[in-house]
Amino acid sequence: MLRYITYRSLVAVFLVWIVVTLVFLLLHLVPGDPAEVLLSQGSTAADPQAVANLRDRLGLNDPLWLQYAHHIGGILTGDLGTSFRDGAPVAGQIVQRLPRTLEVIVTAALIAVLLGVPAGTLAAIRAGGWIDNVISFLSSLALSTPVFVVGSVVILIFAQELRLVPAGGYVPFAVDPARHILLLLMPAGTVALALWAVVARMSRGSVLDVLERDYVRTARAKGLKRRRILKRHVVRNAMIPVLTVLGLEMGTLIGGTVLVEFVFNWPGLSGYLVSAVDARDYPEVVGIVMVISILFVLLNLVVDIVYAVLDPRISLTR
Amino acid sequence: MRKLILPVSILAVILALVVLAPVLPLADERAMDIPHRFAGPSMAHWLGQDEFGRDVLTRLIYGARASLSIAIGSALAAALIGTALGLLGGYFRGIVELFTVRAAEIILCLPPLLLALLVVTIFGAGFWPLILALTLLYTPNYARVVYAATLQVRALDFVTAQRALGTHPLKIVLRTMLPNVLPPLVVQISLVIASAIVIESGLSFLGLGVVPPTPSWGLMIRAARGAMEQAPLLLLWPSVALAGTILTFNLLCDRLQSVLDPRAVPAGGAIWLRRRRTTPIAPRIAPDQVERDHAPADLLSVAGLTISLDRPGGIGSGMELVRGVNLGLRTGETLALVGESGSGKTLTSLAVTGLLPDVLKITAGTAAYRRRDGELRDLIAEDEDGHRQLRGDEISMVFQDASAALNPVHRIGEQLTEVILAHRAIGRAAAKREAVALLGRVGIPDAERRARAYPHELSGGQRQRAMIAIAVANRPKLLLADEPTTALDPTIQAQILALIADLKRESPEMGVVFVTHNLAVVAEIADRVCVMYAGQVVEEGPVAKVFARPRHPYTVALIGSVPEGDAERLVAIPGAIPAPGHMPPGCSFAPRCDHAVAACRKAPPPEFWPEPDRRTRCLRFEEVT
Amino acid sequence: MTMRLTRRSFLATSAAGAALTFVGPKALRAATNGTLRFGLSAYPPSFDAWASSGSAAGTIKLMMHRGLLGFGPDGKMRGELAESFSVDDDGVWTFKLRDAKWHDGSPVTAEDIAWNVAEAAKPDSTAYFRGEFQSIVKVETPDDKTVRMITKEPSAVLPGWFAHFNMPMIKKGEAPDTTMGAGPFKLEKTDRGVSLSLVAFDGYYKEGLPKLAGIQAIVYADENLRVAALDAGDVDLIEYVPWQAMEQIEANDQLALDAVDGPFMYLTFNAEHPPFDDPKVRRAIAHAIKREDIVAAAFYGRGGPLEHLPLAEGSEYYNADLAHGWNYDPEKAKALLAEAGHPDGFECTMLATSQYGMHQSTAEVCQAYLSMVGINVRLDLPEWATRVQKGNQGQYDMAVMGTTASNNDPDGMTQLVDGSLPASFVRSYGLKTPKLTELLAKGRQTFDEAKRKAIYEEMEKQAIEETPIVGLAWRSQGFAMKKTVSGFTNMPGQLCFYSPETLEETALG
Repeated sequence: MLRYITYRSLVAVFLVWIVVTLVFLLLHLVPGDPAEVLLSQGSTAADPQAVANLRDRLGLNDPLWLQYAHHIGGILTGDLGTSFRDGAPVAGQIVQRLPRTLEVIVTAALIAVLLGVPAGTLAAIRAGGWIDNVISFLSSLALSTPVFVVGSVVILIFAQELRLVPAGGYVPFAVDPARHILLLLMPAGTVALALWAVVARMSRGSVLDVLERDYVRTARAKGLKRRRILKRHVVRNAMIPVLTVLGLEMGTLIGGTVLVEFVFNWPGLSGYLVSAVDARDYPEVVGIVMVISILFVLLNLVVDIVYAVLDPRISLTR
Repeated sequence: MRKLILPVSILAVILALVVLAPVLPLADERAMDIPHRFAGPSMAHWLGQDEFGRDVLTRLIYGARASLSIAIGSALAAALIGTALGLLGGYFRGIVELFTVRAAEIILCLPPLLLALLVVTIFGAGFWPLILALTLLYTPNYARVVYAATLQVRALDFVTAQRALGTHPLKIVLRTMLPNVLPPLVVQISLVIASAIVIESGLSFLGLGVVPPTPSWGLMIRAARGAMEQAPLLLLWPSVALAGTILTFNLLCDRLQSVLDPRAVPAGGAIWLRRRRTTPIAPRIAPDQVERDHAPADLLSVAGLTISLDRPGGIGSGMELVRGVNLGLRTGETLALVGESGSGKTLTSLAVTGLLPDVLKITAGTAAYRRRDGELRDLIAEDEDGHRQLRGDEISMVFQDASAALNPVHRIGEQLTEVILAHRAIGRAAAKREAVALLGRVGIPDAERRARAYPHELSGGQRQRAMIAIAVANRPKLLLADEPTTALDPTIQAQILALIADLKRESPEMGVVFVTHNLAVVAEIADRVCVMYAGQVVEEGPVAKVFARPRHPYTVALIGSVPEGDAERLVAIPGAIPAPGHMPPGCSFAPRCDHAVAACRKAPPPEFWPEPDRRTRCLRFEEVT
Repeated sequence: MTMRLTRRSFLATSAAGAALTFVGPKALRAATNGTLRFGLSAYPPSFDAWASSGSAAGTIKLMMHRGLLGFGPDGKMRGELAESFSVDDDGVWTFKLRDAKWHDGSPVTAEDIAWNVAEAAKPDSTAYFRGEFQSIVKVETPDDKTVRMITKEPSAVLPGWFAHFNMPMIKKGEAPDTTMGAGPFKLEKTDRGVSLSLVAFDGYYKEGLPKLAGIQAIVYADENLRVAALDAGDVDLIEYVPWQAMEQIEANDQLALDAVDGPFMYLTFNAEHPPFDDPKVRRAIAHAIKREDIVAAAFYGRGGPLEHLPLAEGSEYYNADLAHGWNYDPEKAKALLAEAGHPDGFECTMLATSQYGMHQSTAEVCQAYLSMVGINVRLDLPEWATRVQKGNQGQYDMAVMGTTASNNDPDGMTQLVDGSLPASFVRSYGLKTPKLTELLAKGRQTFDEAKRKAIYEEMEKQAIEETPIVGLAWRSQGFAMKKTVSGFTNMPGQLCFYSPETLEETALG
């Protein structure tokens, strides 16, 4: 186990290094200059000398390899650098933003599992029946409705017409727990919609698969009650691949909740990443992407470990 | 295939609209009419006009052009690249795997949006950069799926054989591996297309998509969202188009899955899980009528059991797999059911316990069973709940492949405890103690520790012992053992047989139905033998008598095919069992029979009773030796 | 209409506010007035006082800082840290400071001011006015309260620099991105990217101001959500009201809209890419586009056609006879094209950005109209940063642009049409305009009103001929607020982004 984790960690470090390098290079390849963008805000003509001065100050006039060396050197000493825009430490900003994004994703995953597993199981048990068709229709709908449409409609109905919720935004939990949860539920619910569809579809397929297994027949042959067979021998086994896929989906969501964050004004990591790219804030982009890829790799590792825990046949060796 | 008609025809209509758009009588998709912006539906503009006064219907159809060609284009491109990477990585492994599959996985580490943003920013917004971005995004998915499938196929015998023969690796990959990884690939493609349509709309919403004035659904939604107050319908049309198309693709994907892998989706799901009885039972003979003097079976008496394929509308529905089977079992007796694969012996035993797969239906027959309390029940007429009370308690089954029949994620002890708790009102701790004792009883050493093991941690023999422990946990009256030793090697086989004999000695009143194709086993364990062929009982009688003087040519052939010593398989009988749909008009064994005469081929032979305790279905039983 | 209404209510409340100050201490005022929740369109990219960091940063700077000069709600330039300002016959500007305090309580001195000018003008400075300040050759501080600025050549537009929100004064020795200024509010807390909390500065130099106890500025990047937040009561005041929402806000009796036509859209050209070096082609394009359709399609009718240089009708420099110099006349456009040797039109690209809907929509309408005179336009819609770079480097044929001038003085047009300035995405690329350059320089050095008018009229005539840019549309810039918010005024014309200066007089309830 320990050896396995060490091995995987080494691979992860290598992977993250490649990602960071890739992003660093791509960013310098992308048109648009950080200094120029910053000083051209509000559609004003920037003084070329001022732009040159800022470039100098930001170290953008150094050769690329030197900039890269500086950056990697910084990262190795635990320093993600400071924002090109206002000099805010990147690490601090990520520490502030990351939990908010994770909060949305985890809540969404919880909702998706709590509603998706029963829905998928029901659809599988009634495969071909009307319940199956309704669930299949709803999940297709959930998958295909763009989040920005969902968001706009939710805000229109619940915030503007019914006035039940605020029109998006963020309040720290410590300041106002009730409002925090209310605000959290909107983006989380919207993310959960698509995730629910994935979980429901996966559960359906997986349950159908498990229902055909010999051990389910054995369970029946034991004379167990339906509920127990379903819980212990069908759903329990069917959930293994579902949770794996869910874990991977969650990985993609870190940094992939841009639209939801935008529509609900939720200040998470994805929105931060996009604003950093828009501003060509290289240290911020590299820092955020690095953290996202580390999390992604970690999550994959966790998924594998959880998989091994759920399915005793899998052993963590390589 | 019929299942595919609906989604494919909807898709065909959509694609036809898209392809034929230029020749359809549509308005100019770019012609602005700003004074009439946001005009509602009219005769000239069926779906109204957008924020520039352009015709919404036209833009919807042209929008499909952009959205679908991007989605399909990138899905196919990614499929091509991803498949190549997955195949190569999965086949060659090692360093090749590193540079194909693992390299593709780096993309997964990047947030998808960042990737799209970078690609589009570097190459400029537009059709091709978008395809490139989406292709990059989806390639790792394919690579993963194909890689996993390739690993499975790679380990199969015929691939190993080809490698051993020195076939060129590329040829193996293209000719052998590719066709085998195709089913998961096809499903993946339709999944990706659906997902790509959504992503395209999202990217267009962020301004990273198609360049106006070319319409795309995403652009239309983006524009309509701002004008939600003025013209809510503008948001509705592209959203409906998007959702409808995705729905169709998802449907196609589901149907494809079931067509490519027919095993995956049984018709109607799991019927046994439903409380209501869905299949009406055909009228049957009353149980007491079947008790016949020549088969004084006080424990179980099966009469006229017929099992057919039940797939309404499906191929071969109504085909009879088991035909009018009669058999009886006395208390304490061991009956062996023998025959080749497909003879219906396993189905017969499953029918008695109500465990037939959903696609099979009992269309006639009874199975009279005397319960512990003396009540006579027709097991065929029993519903799931009725069976449930008996199963695991009075009637138990031991299955052939214990490694598949034991749930891999639960400990052996738990799987044993739950059958005890299901039928007896004792405490969990007591049940646990009993489970450990049982494991010891069936010969598993160190039972205390083994109870905590998972099935895969036991050896094959131990697994089957555990399986048997589960079956006898509640001291059943009737034990059905379905080829319990087939998957085991000969030494273990003998031990398991000895165990069953042991258990029988302990519970002399227990009746055993032992399904096997191994005559040596029959001789060792059974009191009587029942030979099945093509869904019928062809001969039945006491083991010693049948072996000494068989009364059916098939039995003769069976005995003849057993080589000296221990035999595994029945190989020497020429010909094959006729398929259920193609039964000959006369005796079903006639085509393979040396004794067959014209009469044999005319009509199915009835049952004859050469001796009071023997029967056969052969016209010429007198001549058979 | 809205303008007058708000102004009246402003007068009423400022009187009430003044009365209150006599009644009780500031604490009481705070309790009655509370904190204004301001729906910001973006989080300030930086707090650099002198850098041009956009209107959101401008809004926050106008809360925290004050410059030597500023603008009143009526749009008139007035003294802020400087009590008065005047110019002598040699063109030397003298500023008399009032008794203002920095947020730390220390007095604002002439030395502070001189330091600001020197720092912003330094070679390595990133100040917006760094270039302009090179013309200030000397800053004298005869006493603590007097600043004299001596320029190379006389400059009539120097006060405009010191009234700009990108040239606020900060305390000597502070870093350029300090949040300590002399403005009405102190920055108390920030949640980067989310919100900023400001509290009233009790040492503000205007008696009885600010009226608010504080401001909570909350960022709503999505314009639709910003409106929804106002509608739902989450905020009291929002900036950048999207045009499609203006009607709905006007119809809402809980809300008030204060919108002015200030910013404008226009086309720039790359004169290094023929045929755009030909003024006839540029002018043909100017005559080929129906401006009303841009206003309707991109701005939901909120704005107005712009068929000359961006000089507002209310301006003293407005020339009615030139106002339609580039009127929509497709026949004339075709004739001009034929004259220039392109009777069948030509193909070209038009740069805009997909990041801002108004740029994209404007480009789409232009594209449609240009195709009618035979000019086939392919749109290039990268995101903003790329668009800026492409504009600065001349990687385009034609481009859609939108901006405001620094203030309502016609010198603001220098940025747009003076070809002697360094290349920038706000003006045409590689286009030399010697006559315009000369006239604009003359205008800057002239103090006499009548003479200036004549100079700028000639400049405009020349510009219509040369067509260095093509005016397309005025766009409405709106603030929306609850009816209970008073004292906030959207300043006229190009000054709309200075409007947060009136937050000092804003009150709630």
